Amino acid sequence: MPFNQKPQKFNAKINTVTIGTGDKTVTLGGNSTFPFYTFDAPTVNTPKVGVEISDLGLEALPEGAKAYYEGCTTMADIAKKAAAMEGADFVALVLEGGDPNGEDKPVEDLIAVVKEVADAVDCPLVVEGCKNVEKDSTLLAKVAEALQGRNVVVMSEKEENYKAVGAAAGLAYNQIVGAESAVDINLAKQLNVVTTQLGINAQNIVMNVGTACAGYGYEYVVSTMDRIKGAALGQNDNMLQMPIITPVASETWGVKEASASEADMPEWGPQDERGIDMEVMTAAADLASGSDAVILRHPQSVAAVSKMIKALA
Amino acid sequence: MLLFDIVFNGNDTMYAEAVEAVNAAIAQYGEDMAVGFPDTAYTLACFYAETGNKITTLREAKEALTYIKSQMLRERRLDSGFKSGVATALAAELIEAMKYLNGAKPYEEPYLGHMSDAQIRELGVPLVTGDIPGIPVIIGPAPTVEEACALVKSYQSQGNFVCLVGGIIEQLKEAGYKTGFNVRVYPIGENISSVAHAVSAACRTAMIFGNIKPGDKAALQEYTFNRFRAVVNAFAPLDEKTVACGAGAIYYGFPVITNDMDYTPSVPKSLIKQPNIEEFNATSIEARDIRIKITNIDIPVAFASAFEGEIIRRKDMRVEFDGSRVDCAELVHTCEMSEIEDHRITVIGPEVDDMPDGSKNSIAYVVKVAGRNMQPDFEPVIERKFHNYINCIEGVYHTGQRDMQRIRISHDAFNAGFRLKHIGEVLYSQVKNEFDAVVDKCEVVIYTDPAECTRIRHEVAIPIFNKRDDRLATLTDESVDVYYSCILCQAFSPSHVCVVTPERLGLCGAVSWLDAKATNELDPEGPCQIITKERVIDENLGSYEDVDEAVQKYSRGALEHVTLYSIMQDPMTSCGCFECICGIEPFSNGVVIANREYAGMTPLGMTFPEMASMTGGGVQTPGFMGHGKHFIGSKKFMKAEGGIERIVWMPKELKEFVAERLNKTAFELYGIENFTDMIGDETVAQDPETLVAFLTEKGHPALGMEPMM
Repeated sequence: MPFNQKPQKFNAKINTVTIGTGDKTVTLGGNSTFPFYTFDAPTVNTPKVGVEISDLGLEALPEGAKAYYEGCTTMADIAKKAAAMEGADFVALVLEGGDPNGEDKPVEDLIAVVKEVADAVDCPLVVEGCKNVEKDSTLLAKVAEALQGRNVVVMSEKEENYKAVGAAAGLAYNQIVGAESAVDINLAKQLNVVTTQLGINAQNIVMNVGTACAGYGYEYVVSTMDRIKGAALGQNDNMLQMPIITPVASETWGVKEASASEADMPEWGPQDERGIDMEVMTAAADLASGSDAVILRHPQSVAAVSKMIKALA
Repeated sequence: MLLFDIVFNGNDTMYAEAVEAVNAAIAQYGEDMAVGFPDTAYTLACFYAETGNKITTLREAKEALTYIKSQMLRERRLDSGFKSGVATALAAELIEAMKYLNGAKPYEEPYLGHMSDAQIRELGVPLVTGDIPGIPVIIGPAPTVEEACALVKSYQSQGNFVCLVGGIIEQLKEAGYKTGFNVRVYPIGENISSVAHAVSAACRTAMIFGNIKPGDKAALQEYTFNRFRAVVNAFAPLDEKTVACGAGAIYYGFPVITNDMDYTPSVPKSLIKQPNIEEFNATSIEARDIRIKITNIDIPVAFASAFEGEIIRRKDMRVEFDGSRVDCAELVHTCEMSEIEDHRITVIGPEVDDMPDGSKNSIAYVVKVAGRNMQPDFEPVIERKFHNYINCIEGVYHTGQRDMQRIRISHDAFNAGFRLKHIGEVLYSQVKNEFDAVVDKCEVVIYTDPAECTRIRHEVAIPIFNKRDDRLATLTDESVDVYYSCILCQAFSPSHVCVVTPERLGLCGAVSWLDAKATNELDPEGPCQIITKERVIDENLGSYEDVDEAVQKYSRGALEHVTLYSIMQDPMTSCGCFECICGIEPFSNGVVIANREYAGMTPLGMTFPEMASMTGGGVQTPGFMGHGKHFIGSKKFMKAEGGIERIVWMPKELKEFVAERLNKTAFELYGIENFTDMIGDETVAQDPETLVAFLTEKGHPALGMEPMM
């Protein structure tokens, strides 16, 4: 019997969200197929790759990434170099130095970093908080204010601080709100519902539905993203049709496969390569499960994943 | 004079002043002169929000007067009154705009006039989060300087953003009271027309934060009514212009509270008379439904979940209260709004200081709550949290509930200054914060006087507890209008949906219908949603079109049909947290039930974990079903297959646990006495043959019933 291809058609699509201003914008979403199902319909917008930089500078970076940034002395230098990375679509600034349990940098210092980075590059920007919901409430509101007119994504809007972060980013300063939940379709949906109830347009929301490093309870991530895409397309659930941005690097570089030195684990091979492998594997899985963008750290990962996207989408 | 006429007169006066101001400006500068307030993109925000047209020149200002005049209807109808009120505000805005012509700076400290867009954006975020709970607009001089300061202070200390117009500003200045945008006390201007800057703030908030399209009058009114929690306090003597502005305020949803008892008639909920200035705050907060956020709890020790597991040993204990030895009680009691003074904490009887070191004492605390959405059904839900609240206090320990609680206060906590009233502070702040969806006002009374404790326990608390138990016992599936879904477990069991009914609690045993109801009220977007039960398919099976639609929706299509009372046809799914599993036993036409704690073998040849593997994960396996322990005694337990008569085997421990209710139900349904004696357990049989022999000997009714398959 001859193979008779029947395209799977959905009468729904993922929202289209454009980040940035001017010539250099990226557009996420817009597709009405499962990830990379180009045989069902052509891809409208291919998934995008962001480069993660931190307000803490280069210290925590893996050796290979450090080498890439060699000679950079200021956050502006780092940002420029990140934006110029092969395969990079946007820059994601993580304000981890703000964490009260870490360096606890004051909000003003972090805003200075944000401004320095924003002034240095004209590519689309994503800003992530410091992981502390209380600090993020004030920090991210100030970020949204400082970047007025840049149309950035303010990530790390969570259930605990959605009012403060959402109102500032989505209402007062017209940025894009990145709603973050922890690998649970219902929590992701609930956060989108309450965020839109604040008066924020659903078209100005992206989701970070949470991730894990491949091999670390990753099945939950696959199932969550899969079901979100299923509900968004199959059931036309407009509270789940926001594009998904997944910060991959922050999960993968901390696991033992990436952090154990070659001296401790000679049989595992070179440390940098392992880290890149973990980052690329996780990013590939996230994209195959439904992420519309991933945030990565290592230049080789960025190159590899963007190459994969070109080949598949 | 009628209120309408006062409003119309005030409107006419304000309008005449606006005409005069615009004409004078045109005479001075010509019609092409630019009009606008500094640092705003919403030029003449009130007019723009109302009509969708900007006013940028004096020519347009003149045209705007024509529009304003068209709104000044004079029939004595509510609509005319409101339109005239809005027209008064628009006229006032024009008067104010004329002051700013040609780059003039009409206001000098302490007066601040127009707010910039940047300030509105800065205000907007805390308004959305509730950190600024309300915006009182105070107009005119208070009777005394002290009262002026006290009123402003009372609002300010609640976090409100206070706007001032007229004489009160001079009064604050005289007292040296600090004002300014940053301290949330904003003196606008001397004349009543300056109130337009407050209206402008409301309109711009609606356009910036509410995405309200300029000109969409209905949406603007809805937004200001629902989201911009302003309230007007206007001091006597009122004049016509102020009353006309008040009509505009009321149109936007801002009630007016005044101490002028004679000038106008009062209008319920809108124009409220309050002769006592001290009461202005409470009256305003209640009238505008402003919810004050409690950020810090005023106690001398720490309050954190870190202290929840702290145990106070006898030697470290200053005093204890013990409901098992003396009369104690803890109670949430729903009252009328008028019966409660918010945040009042009263201790009746001796304080800890007067109790001997290491002594055992009585305590009874009654948390009185009131709120528009409060229902007595929520009382136990709130009460259950007391244990957690009191335990989170550093140096205080709590166990038990109802009239059996036990509390210890440590020496350290006592020495740090902790007293009983602080228990009241903790209960007050936690109840207000966590249950803000239903509790508007809260008051705590703590009794330590032994006679009072005895009275509260026996005459107040126990009758209420009994009433609640009776209500729970009499709630039936037929007696309620809705059921609830529960998808709390979907994180790990994606396609499972519990349908919670009064007689069938969640299979985990932790979510009763009342719990689900409270969860839904407190968190409307949360895991428990209302399921109607209007379209019955089959009463006996407990199948409804509504229920099917709900499970389809919440399982995202994984489930299509669920019956409430059958284990053979579309049985309800399980997540995996079931307390018990019931499975069909073909030899006896019955079912066996195993509870999670039971480690042995059942007559099905399966252990609990083996049965669980067939039942969990949101799949439907006819003949197997997960459920809560309390469901066993229910008249709805597998009602479609004949009910509890089918139960032929249970582990002994479970049988004893459910015996009383099960026997009662069996007697009521079938007239069988001591039904549990007919049910086998692991001491009788662990295989079907022995079980059937036992059932035959006992004359178990299941043997004579129709086969289930």
